[in-house]
Amino acid sequence: MPDMKPNLFANVEAKPGSAKPDPIIVADGITRQFGGLTAVDVDHFEVQRHAITALIGPNGAGKSTFFNLLTGFDSANTGTGTFNDMKLDGMSSANVARAGMVRTFQLTKALNRMSVIENMRLGAQHQSGENVFTAMLAPLWRKREDEVTAQAEELLDRFQLLDKQDDYAGSLSGGQRKLLEMARALMSKPSMIMLDEPMAGVNPALTESLLDHIVALKDEGMTVLFVEHDMHMVRRISDWVVVMAQGKIIAEGDPHAVMANPAVQDAYLGSHHDTDLFEERA
Amino acid sequence: MDINDILQIIVAPTTAAFALAAIGLNFHYGLTGLFNMGQAGFMLIGMYGYAITVSQGGSMWLGILISLVGAVLFALFLGWPTLRLRGDYLAIVTIAAAEMVRLIGRSQWLKEWTGGNTGLRGNQFKPPFENLSPFQPPRIVESGPFSFHTTTWWLMLVAWIAVAVTAGLFWRLSKSPWGRVLKGIREDEDAVRSLGKSVYSLKMQALIIGGVLGAAGGVVWAHGNAVQPDSMGRVTTFWIWTMLLLGGAATVLGPILGSVLFWAMFVFIKQLAPLILPDLPPQQIEPLALAFVGVGLILLIVFRPQGILGDKREISLDA
Amino acid sequence: MRDAAKTELNARQFPLRAALLTTAAVGIITVMSAVPARAVELSTEVADPVVGAQTNLFLQNLLNGVTFGLLLALASVGLSLIYGTTGLSNFAHGEQVTFGAAAAFAAVSAGIPLIWAAVIAVIAGGATGWLQDTILWSQLRKRRVRPMQQMIVSIGLALVFVNLLQIWMGAQRVRLSVSIEERTQFGPVAIGPQTLISMAICVVALAGVGFFLQRTRMGRATRAVSDNPALASATGISVNRVIRLVWILSGSLAALGGVLLALYENTSDFSAGSRILLLMFAAVTLGGLGHPFGALVGSLVVGIVAEVSTVVLPTPDLKYAIVMGMLILTLLVRPQGLLGKKERVG
Repeated sequence: MPDMKPNLFANVEAKPGSAKPDPIIVADGITRQFGGLTAVDVDHFEVQRHAITALIGPNGAGKSTFFNLLTGFDSANTGTGTFNDMKLDGMSSANVARAGMVRTFQLTKALNRMSVIENMRLGAQHQSGENVFTAMLAPLWRKREDEVTAQAEELLDRFQLLDKQDDYAGSLSGGQRKLLEMARALMSKPSMIMLDEPMAGVNPALTESLLDHIVALKDEGMTVLFVEHDMHMVRRISDWVVVMAQGKIIAEGDPHAVMANPAVQDAYLGSHHDTDLFEERA
Repeated sequence: MDINDILQIIVAPTTAAFALAAIGLNFHYGLTGLFNMGQAGFMLIGMYGYAITVSQGGSMWLGILISLVGAVLFALFLGWPTLRLRGDYLAIVTIAAAEMVRLIGRSQWLKEWTGGNTGLRGNQFKPPFENLSPFQPPRIVESGPFSFHTTTWWLMLVAWIAVAVTAGLFWRLSKSPWGRVLKGIREDEDAVRSLGKSVYSLKMQALIIGGVLGAAGGVVWAHGNAVQPDSMGRVTTFWIWTMLLLGGAATVLGPILGSVLFWAMFVFIKQLAPLILPDLPPQQIEPLALAFVGVGLILLIVFRPQGILGDKREISLDA
Repeated sequence: MRDAAKTELNARQFPLRAALLTTAAVGIITVMSAVPARAVELSTEVADPVVGAQTNLFLQNLLNGVTFGLLLALASVGLSLIYGTTGLSNFAHGEQVTFGAAAAFAAVSAGIPLIWAAVIAVIAGGATGWLQDTILWSQLRKRRVRPMQQMIVSIGLALVFVNLLQIWMGAQRVRLSVSIEERTQFGPVAIGPQTLISMAICVVALAGVGFFLQRTRMGRATRAVSDNPALASATGISVNRVIRLVWILSGSLAALGGVLLALYENTSDFSAGSRILLLMFAAVTLGGLGHPFGALVGSLVVGIVAEVSTVVLPTPDLKYAIVMGMLILTLLVRPQGLLGKKERVG
């Protein structure tokens, strides 16, 4: 259950594409086709700032594709979008990250052949030592490097990875690598973090601690959007749920209401084929 | 068995030249994971740039400038289409481009500049550098087991200082944040993009730096031999790869060690062959030695890709 | 979000593109044959044509290009098949071609008639393919050695083979057949019987490969493995058997190509295959890496461009540089080649 704070979604309509009081992302008319298949067809989409939003849906719903479109890892056929009032159109994935929207990957991309602390340092921005000319003169970037290291150690401590900082990331367990990827993404102090199936392949013992970390992000003022299959997680920590099916958004609402929505149940369980999904919702 | 020959080759200008080219390749493959199969092309661009400039009347410094600019342009030309493509596409483009340089250089079309397939003779471009030699008068000088002409001593001095400087450059850059991003790119570009880094321009920087070093190696080699397009073919690139892998990719001293060991073993095998196979005709000794180089490369890449000095945990061989 | 992604190549577009290319080529040929060709010094690497009074240099070069293209196609189709089924860019393929010529020469030197020498060479070539897969490549696949690592292994293998071939053949040029082909004039072009027979053999062999891939069970299995090895394996196809067959086929075809090329060029030497390796890569890439039919299309384009370009180039020895430029341009503009699908790239 989200904790007792003023409910940001108090006046938000529980329908697809509903407007949010303070949206950090606004997207319009996004479509993506592969050959003849339409993977994504979203009329309107808004994500509320400082909240945890879940993006759910059955397999093949287009969630991952939509996720990649928003983060710049894929290009849409049509549509526009803004992030923090900045146009997302034509933005590469690197620029999206620099603008403050970072993401993690379903198949964790911890850089196994680098140490944990080096992974973390890589996540930092504004390190002039990453410029080839500045890199040649160590004194020019030493100070920033020390700052980055201090920030990294603090984050590692928070995620309980500090004692492993000099180990190669490849030697960590799967769950630890997930935490590392999340910690690394936080190095750039983003305003929004996009998590791609954060619970995938995580053992139950780690799930609780991972959930706590994600809620803590919201407490620090970050906006979180995550794609998930794990309904337990969705019910536990999300403030708002967006449901996709067959490329479209078919429902939005608070976690409990959405689960009870017959259209959503249909999409997952596949019954009532003869009934038009969109009629049901009216 | 003449140990002096082996000692001579260890310090010879050819070894230094290849060490430079191998350090350049280390920036490409060791640090960034780029499969540059055209390093001999960079060497050729370097030596043509220098030798043509000087043989047409330019100064030594202009020659150096032209050869370095040529390398930069060649890197841009290679990198622009291919740095966004998968690894084996970069390999094929770099081989094709290096071959193109060689074919154009050796053709009759540009013969009055490049010397066609016979190339440029030493006296057409070597004098400006050789005249700077502090070891006067020109003569053979012996020191311990080493016996070289003074111009060679001078070339060796300059070449090995260049090797030391570039090894230092590699050390400094690979340990810097810039090096760190490239190591990340080597392993997973998407991960690095998701952290806000401009992957394409970083790869291009590595390509340019490594290419310039290859060109420098070419200039040194030309001074120790001549400008000969057919000596800078595909096979030469493969030798540079063998040296880098042997010594240890992504290490500071690996390329240098690789070059030294490669040439030492080459001379050693050539000396050993007539002792073990006395019936082998002399003109087949070198092909035999080179066949061993091929076997060595296979064994290296399969069983010990990190080479002698490398760290197994750091080696990445993905496209 | 980025704007407008490009559409993908549809399987139905292949014949259309091939037809368009052919039409364009025919159009260009018609226009250019009207242009009086100047007398150029023809490359010494192509058998000297009889320059009769009626010979149109342009059309003669075109014919030479088609001939060379067919030979190149025979030599390179194996390269394409290996890439398609195993993902390996085989840098030792040039030596497979040389080996064919070397084996035929050894047989001819032992007194065996040319035809039988060629048959022996083809069988020997297939055997080297079989040996390579049995001893080396299947072991590397088992150890899960990655494709780029395997590519470097093939580079090492190329170094070994070319030097062993040099030891075996010596450094001099060798002749497979002492007879000089007599060329007959057919209107604006001249061609000899040996060349015609070689071309016919190429066409038959390539048609055989096409038939194999389209109509036989093993051929269909080969195409399945090229497309998706995991899926093919799941449907019961023995991927390793298919790959072994591909290696045998590749070795045999390359050897046959080597023999015919040696006949076409009148002489051969230990580096014959090595010299055309990059032309073969250009052909296979241009046609579409992994598409055997692409090897034919690409080879014809490479052959024709190389020979016809001598008409306009400042010196004819630049023709292979033009082919290299074409290879780079292909990878720049259309990396999947003429017939390839977009997903294979990047």
